[in-house]
Amino acid sequence: MDFNIIIRTISKYWPMFLRGTGVTLFISTIGTIVGFIIGLVIGIIRTVPVPERGIKKQILKVVNAILSVYVEVFRGTPMIVQAMVIYYGSKQAFDIDMSPLFAGIFIVSINTGAYMAEIVRGGIVSIDKGQFEAAYAIGMSHYQTMINVVLPQVIRNILPATGNEFVINIKDTSVLNVISVTELYFQTNSVAGNNYRFFETFFIASVIYFILTFTVTRILRYIERKIDGPENYILLANQMQVQTPEDALHKQQGANINR
Amino acid sequence: MKKRYFALIVLLLSAVLLLSACGKSEGNTFKVGMEAGYPPFNWTQLDNSNGAVRIQNSAEYAGGYDVEIAKLIAEHMGKELVIVKTEWTGLIPALTSGKIDAIIAGMSPTAERMETIDFSDNYYTSDLVMVVKKGGKYDGATSIQDFKGAKITAQLNTFHYTVIDQIEGVQKMTAMDDFPAMRVALESGIIDGYVSERPEGISAEAANSNFKMIVFEDGFKTSPEDTAIAVGLRKGSELREKINEALAKISEEKRMELMDNAIKNQPGE
Repeated sequence: MDFNIIIRTISKYWPMFLRGTGVTLFISTIGTIVGFIIGLVIGIIRTVPVPERGIKKQILKVVNAILSVYVEVFRGTPMIVQAMVIYYGSKQAFDIDMSPLFAGIFIVSINTGAYMAEIVRGGIVSIDKGQFEAAYAIGMSHYQTMINVVLPQVIRNILPATGNEFVINIKDTSVLNVISVTELYFQTNSVAGNNYRFFETFFIASVIYFILTFTVTRILRYIERKIDGPENYILLANQMQVQTPEDALHKQQGANINR
Repeated sequence: MKKRYFALIVLLLSAVLLLSACGKSEGNTFKVGMEAGYPPFNWTQLDNSNGAVRIQNSAEYAGGYDVEIAKLIAEHMGKELVIVKTEWTGLIPALTSGKIDAIIAGMSPTAERMETIDFSDNYYTSDLVMVVKKGGKYDGATSIQDFKGAKITAQLNTFHYTVIDQIEGVQKMTAMDDFPAMRVALESGIIDGYVSERPEGISAEAANSNFKMIVFEDGFKTSPEDTAIAVGLRKGSELREKINEALAKISEEKRMELMDNAIKNQPGE
């Protein structure tokens, strides 16, 4: 490996690396966000309690079956295969002409959605059953329970898994070159095809990939910490309605400021 | 407030998705698929120097022998040339599904491929060579039989890979996806050599001084349909006649000149 060649490759081909990085980041970011939303929605639907009888039971059964097929199919087949089938198949069978970028985002989204559905389901199942019962007892619907009680905890708990998905997506967009998406790997391959310097060129790509994934992990960590809030804090009001020494301290300080 | 932000994000996302879904309308275009990573036949460059053509949905340009041929064909047909950059494995599905009108990517009209797609007349014929490490054990070989015991590979789904069996006692390695991968393997010593075609060999040698192209005195036995290169077309494509007309107009001297220019102009380090 020659450091001069790395410098020369970067100075000559930096726009290609930059655009490739842009496409990779764009597809994986939007794909992860859309996939996250798909996962949340499916997770909510799949945990709806099934009533004993009635039309609602039948509908739920059908919907759950469809969602199971979706999750199993898209989780159980490689993304490169899905890309080939969806992009070329839709044109051949239905004459739908997707742009490569749209197809890329679409494939990453539904793929992530399938994984996230299971992650979200796991997150919901992990919430203590008593919380559901309590929420139902005070008359909340399943939707209200989810939005107000369960999901805020679930989202916090599944953030690390979402970060995993994001990192995987950044790396896995590299298979989308079979459907003409000029992402970072494809661009690197083109540069290497031009300059015949493979270690050096792919070394640059690996550094870029690492910077991308590392930054994303750091940002998600920051968000996690933000959601967690400060580790030690003083309750503003306690349920006993009795003044604690801290409250007294607060009042005193407040009074001091007012004065 | 938070809900409003969420709605805004969803709206933005759907707008982006819709926008990217809207493709350009089909006009009087001739869409050609290629890897744009196989010099001197086709490569990617950053500007339009040496007659390179803008790649669709990309800010880069494609240049090379294939691009020059594609330009001449498009000119003859009176259509606008559009270059679609696709990985090798995606080329045939892109053609059969109608994403592109033709493959001009240094593709040989093999019998296997002819089962799924049609080919025009040849626009190039080449010899098979072996690319090895300079100063290595196999530098100086003259016959394919000199590669007894050598670790040899070639590109996946090409006839380059099947001819390796003609070498007695060779260690046939797993086929590789593309030339960059094989060059990495050769440079790192995972393989002792790979089967290639003359133009690719010349450019590999020119670009990286560690590589040496072996031209055989006693070479591989190949059928002419394998060493020839032609334009890939959909079965029963009505473009075939026009393309053959256009190719017939390009003289042998002109082809040599185009290839020499392509080897000369290909981007280096």
